[in-house]
Amino acid sequence: MLFLIEYDRGKGEIVTLQRFDESQRHRAEGTRLDLELKLNGLGTEHEVVLLEASSENALRRTHRRYFENLSELMKAS
Amino acid sequence: MASEISKTQIDRLGDRLKKGEITDNDLRLLDEYRRSFSEAYEFVIVAIRNELGLEPTGRPAKSTISISDKLLRESIRLSQIQDVAGCRLVVSEIVDQNRAVESLKGIFDNANIVDRREHPSHGYRAVHVIVRYRHTLVEIQVRTLLQQAWAELSEKLSDINGTAIKYGKGNKTIMEPLLQMSAELAKEEANEAELTRLEAEVSVLLSAESTELQKQDIMNVQRELKKLQQKQRSLRNTSLKILRDTLEQIQ
Repeated sequence: MLFLIEYDRGKGEIVTLQRFDESQRHRAEGTRLDLELKLNGLGTEHEVVLLEASSENALRRTHRRYFENLSELMKAS
Repeated sequence: MASEISKTQIDRLGDRLKKGEITDNDLRLLDEYRRSFSEAYEFVIVAIRNELGLEPTGRPAKSTISISDKLLRESIRLSQIQDVAGCRLVVSEIVDQNRAVESLKGIFDNANIVDRREHPSHGYRAVHVIVRYRHTLVEIQVRTLLQQAWAELSEKLSDINGTAIKYGKGNKTIMEPLLQMSAELAKEEANEAELTRLEAEVSVLLSAESTELQKQDIMNVQRELKKLQQKQRSLRNTSLKILRDTLEQIQ
């Protein structure tokens, strides 16, 4: 599965999360560009990243920083 | 690298990203450049899945903000960035990490290994395996659970307090405990590796018919094992204390 994440680094929070299946790779990449263009127009500096994992749980294990706040990360450590 | 985009175009784009002057056309060009890594990325992911039976989490292309940060931080050109495309493997322990790296070397014969365990980058410990596919590079990050926990924490703190923290130039009240914790985790992992080695030794000794001398050997190794287990608990307690102190300082 593919996951397109818009992440506000300053707040440490996900703004939007879109899910795509593997057959939608080109669509996911197109959506990433559209989102970057939109944010650039608004002057918003959010991180936009496309990630791929076997499931959302797998992604949450290897990229916890996007999904958890500081206290949650520290507790889980 | 995409045949349609020249190296000069890419590096000029990098210069603009570095200055923070990003137009919509720059974003489109960067998107085209990043998509040129797709074939190499797919090759690496499929090989890891099919030949090693492991399930990596992939990042087909580095985010614009991460590319800009890297260009600002390091004196490299956009065309020289090695981790535009990459993936991550998180394994349990150092022994599994060594095994995974050896397996990767076995399937990618041109792999370049960057071992950041002995020489951490501002506390960051992991092994990176850089694979070349035709003219494109893909980075595979191999981390243990402890290395992963530290890296996630460091990245989160950098998100909130500024990326300088990740590169040794940030707020010292945050950076110093992070470095201390990294050093403790390194000790814990070294101890863990020694524990695994001794456990294997005991298992071999126990499986053989033992003479009196060998029985004595087994008892010696078991005593050593017990000491290491106690040390492991103590190292874990130290790491947890640093974590708690760091959290108190930040909040």
